[in-house]
Amino acid sequence: MSFSCDDLRARVPEYLDGVLASVETRNFREHLFSCGECRDEVASIEPSLLFARVSLEEVSEKDVERVLAGVKAGVALEQAERKLALGRSKRRRRVAAIASAAALAALTLVLPGSARRSDSREPVRAAARSAAAPAPGFAPAARSVPTGTFPADATVYDWNPGAGSQEPRVVWIVDRSLDI
Amino acid sequence: MELVYSENRDRQEAGELPDKELALRARGGDMVSFEALVTRKTPAVVSVARRIVGDAEDARDVAQLVFLRVWEQLARYDDQYSFNTWLYRIATNLSIDFLRSSRSRERAHGATLHLVRMREEMTGRETTDALEDAELARLFQTISGRLTGKQKAVFVLKEMEDCDTKEIAVILKCGESTVRNHLFNARRILRREIARICPGLIAGRGPR
Repeated sequence: MSFSCDDLRARVPEYLDGVLASVETRNFREHLFSCGECRDEVASIEPSLLFARVSLEEVSEKDVERVLAGVKAGVALEQAERKLALGRSKRRRRVAAIASAAALAALTLVLPGSARRSDSREPVRAAARSAAAPAPGFAPAARSVPTGTFPADATVYDWNPGAGSQEPRVVWIVDRSLDI
Repeated sequence: MELVYSENRDRQEAGELPDKELALRARGGDMVSFEALVTRKTPAVVSVARRIVGDAEDARDVAQLVFLRVWEQLARYDDQYSFNTWLYRIATNLSIDFLRSSRSRERAHGATLHLVRMREEMTGRETTDALEDAELARLFQTISGRLTGKQKAVFVLKEMEDCDTKEIAVILKCGESTVRNHLFNARRILRREIARICPGLIAGRGPR
């Protein structure tokens, strides 16, 4: 049921409080939109309602075509970027897999033999030895690891180069013959 | 030839499907459905963006961003909810973002100059009938610059796009009381600005 002018004017407070049902709200706005007198009346109570339902010029077909063309170009660009990123990440995954396999091999390579903790009966000597040892870090190692196991152009990095011959060794071997 | 015919037929079919079905097909990578969705929804998106950002050219740019965002995030669309609500959420958020960035670029004295000119034009207007829709729209764009992005979005959705409080709360991901609060403040600011710029429209017009 549509609103009469009297109905509308009586129900302005309810509209402003947002307590009208959605059908009534729609009818209220439709009446307001089409009736200049009620619009003036309501503007005196709540001026912002001047803008209720204010219409803009129609969005033309040309506008729709322009938006669609822009969106299609954007989607195509995004798909191309995604493909590029996919190619890059595949290559990165392959390199990472090779590197982690090499790291695993290096970490499990403990040379020579079993570990022997520093002798607790000789605390002074143990402390002196650890102070003399260089700070841990990768450094090219003398080829004390068994040669022949690796290609001649491989570089061997030793985690604890200053360690005694009876201590565990962790080495990292970079094989430059691998094409990654 | 057969391929062109088949593509046209697909387009025609897609044009008859409901929004949600088109969205689900587009999510599966169906570009024809996505294009149908863009074509169907562009007028509504441009319209809401235009009311929030104020300029037709900017609104078209925002609409393009909205549909690109839709394309990127279709996988996240929860089909339990209306596609329109989801679309309005993206459109409103991007329009508010655009408004924020354009305001930060805008020089304050330029905006003030615009208000002064509008005031000169509006002085002497005493009835709303004397205001064409286009003038009202321009008046709204001028004075709504005083609203925050959220206040403007709530006012536009409520008074111009016929959304109810509950729907606006879902679109803006906030509580209904927050929506009512934004609306209350938006009306208060607009009331003050109308009284300042075109006092003739409201002065002395008590109930008849």
